[in-house]
Amino acid sequence: MTATMTAAVNEGLPPEVRDLLNSADGAAFEQALDAMVRQREHHLFRALGVLARDLHGAVCRLGSDLANEGVPESMTDARNYLAEVLDMSSKAAHRSLDFVDRMRPEAEALSANAAAVLDFSRSETDPATALARQTQVFASACAEGLNDMVLVQSWQDLAGQRVKKVVSFIESVESSLLELVRLTGALAGREAPVEVAKVSSQDEVDRLLSEFGF
Amino acid sequence: MFLRFGEKRLDKNMKILVVDDFSTMRRIVRNLLVELGFSNPLIQEADDGNAALTMLKANPFDMVVTDWNMPNMTGIELLQAIRAEPKLKSLPVLMVTAENNREQIIAAAQAGVNGYIVKPFTAVTLKEKLDKIFERLAASGASA
Repeated sequence: MTATMTAAVNEGLPPEVRDLLNSADGAAFEQALDAMVRQREHHLFRALGVLARDLHGAVCRLGSDLANEGVPESMTDARNYLAEVLDMSSKAAHRSLDFVDRMRPEAEALSANAAAVLDFSRSETDPATALARQTQVFASACAEGLNDMVLVQSWQDLAGQRVKKVVSFIESVESSLLELVRLTGALAGREAPVEVAKVSSQDEVDRLLSEFGF
Repeated sequence: MFLRFGEKRLDKNMKILVVDDFSTMRRIVRNLLVELGFSNPLIQEADDGNAALTMLKANPFDMVVTDWNMPNMTGIELLQAIRAEPKLKSLPVLMVTAENNREQIIAAAQAGVNGYIVKPFTAVTLKEKLDKIFERLAASGASA
């Protein structure tokens, strides 16, 4: 760096920093720099801690609001409800597939019976012949419709996969939140409690938070 | 082993293992296979990769139709395990999955998948892929 550039950079700095930069005492410079960085980090971690605390408070309030309105009291209940959604949609899909299994042989038998009638048919103008032909068209439309019905049930699997993703998202939000609280507490210089992963009840969560002064 | 690989044809009496954690999807795939003329009693089911691998090691199968997203052992892990097992490595594997991003399709191809179908699909698509798999296997068997 040239002397002119150094001078230009110095111009833009607060006086105490400029004094430090120009100081010949290397150890004092290091100390002052450390103190500045620590002060900044401390503010940042405090801010993060408060943020985590607020976020946790917001989640708790949301939980109690939901409880007052008679909807799921906790995330566990929410997960159970989603599991029920999975179960019910699976049952509905299986009922539809049962129906297809029952109706498919009926359609095949109808088509075979119509073919047998046509075997004996003497004239195309015979009403029985016309009916038998219509019956075959109907039976084949039924078979096609039943096949479509089977395929449509695969949406249950796709919807179920989305539900499973939401369940794991809820779990990750819970554990990330706790991890954030633990991390901010640890960075702020407090001892990290052991076995944080096992925290489950609301009391434990609150105790953990208070250990970090939030 | 190699001869057997070359001999593989789309045979309606083949033993097929359908692997999916959703019972609905297993039933649908079974239903479609039966509709395509495969024998219902020869189709078996497993609800994850681990269960499938145990069944494959215990009994001979002619083809595996597997989902990707499953607990314990996923479809891609099952495919890798099949390719790593000397007794099973030439078994045709068709992946039927909702995963349709580029990286996953490439990963499946690199792991040696024989076919890849994105859900939801039709019986026509299933038939096309099965025909293609066995055409290709017959061709590679003939040239070997």
